[in-house]
Amino acid sequence: MRTEAAKVSEIAPGGMLGVKLNGIHLAVCNYGGEFYAVERRCGHAAAYLDRGTLNGYILTCPLHYAQFDVVTGEALSGPIPEAPASKYENPAAPQLATHGLKTYPVTVEGDSIMVDL
Amino acid sequence: MNLEARKKALRFLFAPIVDKLGYKFNPVEEDTDFLLESEVSLEQKYGFPYCPCQARTKDRAANMKIVCPCIPFHREHYDAMKRCWCGLFVHKDVSDPSGLKQIPPDKFNKKNRT
Repeated sequence: MRTEAAKVSEIAPGGMLGVKLNGIHLAVCNYGGEFYAVERRCGHAAAYLDRGTLNGYILTCPLHYAQFDVVTGEALSGPIPEAPASKYENPAAPQLATHGLKTYPVTVEGDSIMVDL
Repeated sequence: MNLEARKKALRFLFAPIVDKLGYKFNPVEEDTDFLLESEVSLEQKYGFPYCPCQARTKDRAANMKIVCPCIPFHREHYDAMKRCWCGLFVHKDVSDPSGLKQIPPDKFNKKNRT
């Protein structure tokens, strides 16, 4: 089922937008003028990925800096290591596995970004 | 995590950084691939893509200075060699890196002091 996620003008190249379509949370990414949609929750600790950064095709999570390929959804790296000599428990939760992201087919129709859910 | 995908990602992330510093990836593809693979292994083990040819110590601040690309922390030394320590990056004007030699840091420092 194809659903409009956003307008093309709403996501500049290198930008992302978090949307909820039919109960599914997505991060819609603009990589060099092409649009890609991945699940919005990080494959490590479920943070909202659209609040992270998109460097080319590499999406970096804002919480523990795990990285993902927005084209394939593949996990490229896990969370960063624990801060040394910290009195706090490791917030990066290294015991959690970092899973890849589910991707969704995207088409552009006129000014609309359509996602096939 | 996929080794090849991470190697490709490191290439993608490093290229614009070293370009601004006047460096490029070593044109000998076999060396570049081997060094990147070593960095990915180190990253998967320790969390950072450390230089595969420099020893880590217990000093975290010093270790941070050998996280790739470490050129800004050793700029004069690497500029003198026209390559970084492991050879993953060479000066942009280098087409044949086989003649580029490593200058040990102590020798470089000694020479620069006099």
